[in-house]
Amino acid sequence: MSTKEPSEADILRPINTLTKKYFLVYGIAAIGLLAFIVAWGYQLQKGLVVTGLGDWGSGGGSTWGLYIGAFIWWVGVAHGGIILSAAVRLLGMDRYMPIARLAEMTTIGGLSAAGFYIIVHMGRPDRMVTSIIGHYHITVNNSPLVWDVTVITAYFVLSATYLGLTLRYDVNRLRDDLPDMFEPIYKIMTIGYTKREDEVIQRMVWWLAAAVIIMAPLLLHGGVIPWLFALLPAMPAWTGGIQGPMFLSIALMSAISGVIIISYGFRRAYDWDHIITDDIFRGLLLWLGFFTLLFLWFQLQAVFNGIFLGPLDKAHAAEAKIAHPLYRIAIGLIFASLVYIFVQGIRPELFSKKRAIVVSCAVLMGTLTEKVLFVVEGFMDPHFNIYANTPGTYFPSAIEWLSLVGTTALVVLLFLNLSKLVPVVELHAIEHLRGDHEHSEEATEPEVEA
Amino acid sequence: MSTDDESFHPLGDEWEDELETMLDDTEYDSDLGMEMAQDAMRVTKGELSEAEFHEKHHEAVMEEFGEDERPTKEAYEAAQEEAKGTASRMLDAFDGDGGETRRETMKKMGVGAAAVGMGAFGSTRDGPMESLSAEGGHSETTEHSDTQWGMTIDLERCDGCLTCMSACTQENDLDAGVNWMYVMAWEDELHEGHEEGTDTGVYSSDFNMGSDFNMLVRPCQHCTDAPCEKVCPTTARHTRDKDGLVLTDYDVCIGCRYCQVACPYGVNYFQWDEPHTDYEDIDGYEDPENPDQITHAEYEYGERWVDSRAPRGVMSKCTMCPSMQDGKQGEEKIGTSACESACPPNAIQFGNVKDEKSDPYQHREHPSKSRAVIRLSGEHTDSRGGIPSPETIDGTLSSDDDMESALEKFENLDQETLSIMKAVQLVSDRTEPGDEENNSILRKEQKVVAAVDAFEQYVDLETDEAITQLQLGDGSERQARFRIQQYTGKPNSFKLLEDVGTNPNVTYLGEQPGPEAEQVEGPTKYEDIEVLADKRQDILDEETVGGIDGGSL
Repeated sequence: MSTKEPSEADILRPINTLTKKYFLVYGIAAIGLLAFIVAWGYQLQKGLVVTGLGDWGSGGGSTWGLYIGAFIWWVGVAHGGIILSAAVRLLGMDRYMPIARLAEMTTIGGLSAAGFYIIVHMGRPDRMVTSIIGHYHITVNNSPLVWDVTVITAYFVLSATYLGLTLRYDVNRLRDDLPDMFEPIYKIMTIGYTKREDEVIQRMVWWLAAAVIIMAPLLLHGGVIPWLFALLPAMPAWTGGIQGPMFLSIALMSAISGVIIISYGFRRAYDWDHIITDDIFRGLLLWLGFFTLLFLWFQLQAVFNGIFLGPLDKAHAAEAKIAHPLYRIAIGLIFASLVYIFVQGIRPELFSKKRAIVVSCAVLMGTLTEKVLFVVEGFMDPHFNIYANTPGTYFPSAIEWLSLVGTTALVVLLFLNLSKLVPVVELHAIEHLRGDHEHSEEATEPEVEA
Repeated sequence: MSTDDESFHPLGDEWEDELETMLDDTEYDSDLGMEMAQDAMRVTKGELSEAEFHEKHHEAVMEEFGEDERPTKEAYEAAQEEAKGTASRMLDAFDGDGGETRRETMKKMGVGAAAVGMGAFGSTRDGPMESLSAEGGHSETTEHSDTQWGMTIDLERCDGCLTCMSACTQENDLDAGVNWMYVMAWEDELHEGHEEGTDTGVYSSDFNMGSDFNMLVRPCQHCTDAPCEKVCPTTARHTRDKDGLVLTDYDVCIGCRYCQVACPYGVNYFQWDEPHTDYEDIDGYEDPENPDQITHAEYEYGERWVDSRAPRGVMSKCTMCPSMQDGKQGEEKIGTSACESACPPNAIQFGNVKDEKSDPYQHREHPSKSRAVIRLSGEHTDSRGGIPSPETIDGTLSSDDDMESALEKFENLDQETLSIMKAVQLVSDRTEPGDEENNSILRKEQKVVAAVDAFEQYVDLETDEAITQLQLGDGSERQARFRIQQYTGKPNSFKLLEDVGTNPNVTYLGEQPGPEAEQVEGPTKYEDIEVLADKRQDILDEETVGGIDGGSL
């Protein structure tokens, strides 16, 4: 660990500096988002015919594709992010405190991207409010898509509350060093703040974290999101209880990878070697390895259930899955990542942050590919596979590919903006690192031997 | 559905209590009714034989009603005779034109017993059953409509001409490839397909049974438990209460396409771009300038836009023509659909599947007889023409005629046709077709029966000699059924993907495709018909921005 003493000035640095590199990244991200918005405008003008999608069945297409695949992937990143942060608070994993807020912001970013995808995917986005909200009291009883919208909204509220509450402490204490031009925002954020609330907020945050941890497997990414697919008997590639754990493992893998990349970016940009330490990266990498192992285990279960002995529809779906070159690449990437994580666990000198970044990117690519494929697979090998045009064909159009650039840019912009407004590392984390935090005596996870 | 251990009825305790209350309201013994209903369920499960069932309650029923005409009477008597060693039930194999086994009859009866209160009490006319169902009718029936539009499709009569597909496309102004109605030929291991170069055989037999194409006709199944409706996040996909049609409100749909994802049959087609027919070009019925007339269907609370091609960005599928069912296209089109009206071999029978006089009901329950009636009535492509009216017969025949001389006087009548007509007359229970829409099978049956009745005024067709000449065995109803089956075949019936739990309202007659069945080229090619296209993806790909030709994930 670095001998440098973490200070308030460290976490204020992103807010009070303005570099060329920042503008460069901001510019690239803005162009990326703008490019997609223009493309989306074209899609709105022409209709969804500009995508590579089509009607499954006699039509020989795929009803859903990259948009929905990327949607569940972003939801996964978001859910994983908040689970990570909640685990840090709930289980007292204090060494990850410096990245807890980054994980929470990842959640907000992921949910924004996912929400954007819902709108982009619709044939009539203009009716979102009237049609969905207007019939909510009826549809919430049966439609998994409405359950989805419900839990995503609940999650957004939960995450935003969580983030908002913890920010009050920091903003109040660091107010003098924060830029005056955002004064109205700070005022709203800290409205009615007194020092006596700190303890109450701590408790509230703890309960929110508890709610997140309990809801994650039961209702969120381990439940409602996979139910969008797993409950449909018509698509054997999707059905089955394994999808719950599978989705949750993917969510956590994606989120941890995302947080590793984002943390690395901030550490590099603002010299935070002594705040986001190597130790954090090593720890995150081990957790990534753990969830990767779970993911591969669930994949094995899902595929093996199909290929051993029927039923026929399940067998066809499973056979098509393992025969698909992209599936093999995705699983290969993830498996190779697991091997590296395992080996560097045994021989610590094999660890480097660059390698951790490579592994994180590999895992993110792998999970995104798996997600998009998973969505398409359903339509390629349905239960009723009599049609000559089934399996059909689907290849994402340029606009669909561009949506990945656009949503990634959206998340990057969110971070770039937030980092100028509030500290992305908690004040608590700094206090803890300095050893002057009131809760520092709580049980902490044993640190990984480096 | 939860079934309490205490309850014998599949619908559970609550339902059973309700039935018991209904029974209590009658003058008859409720305990006996419930006990019999319970035993009837045991019969359906095979725990009790029909004869045992009949015997068990015989005395009590005689005491209560003074007669015992329950449907199990025959089984009971047969068992009695069997016990005496005098009769065998060998001929039972040919029993029932409806193709219904005794077990099935009992199953229905068992459910009916509980449903109406006491089906088990027998089917005697003016008996206790009548009074009970009449009473039950007043208090129930509000929740579920008596109308459920649906179809019975005879796949063995389908010749794959695709006329229904183009009729649907034209009626609804659909884009090419939006095949609300889809007809395909298929084959699997047990059902060989057509071989190249051989005669198609489509018209070489009476009912296309000799065709080596196995057909499947796939409209929307208008499921009672429609998965598409269940998953819809907006209620755009809904079931119209008054007639069970599953429709899409084009004004509400947000185009998420979850219905297409959830439908196991693949009947949904999304409107990916601007439809090729402008809304203004959809012709209304009486006022061609007003498309709303046929695009909007009637509900208790007003009108909704659910018919004809969808606008951009929303989902569409077969609607079973609500504008026709609402009478907006004229009285004569109520109870019909564009595909049904267009089908040359009359393979599609559309109507109220809950009405036992309707075409789909008749065709489903009495497939062989219905086939014979349809064919005798001269609407088949290979038909020998219509049957003479009683008046024509009266004016043509005299009492001097014998069968041969009488037949010679009618151009369209030969001995085989007369044989089938007589067989139909023998098996007909002479149900009146009633005034309901589109009960054409019963109406045609009535004509056949009337013609035979008139014929018999002049020529006795019941003599041993005549019966033998007409190949009707001993002239019994059973032998007559057998004769009809020889003539038209005795098709299987099935519903598509029943295992998925959708409760579809389309019944098929003919061979069911197995799980490995694959679509093959049919007798008529899609591309040979101008308005049709098969693989819509090829059309959609033309508009894809930066798509890769032939590439696929």
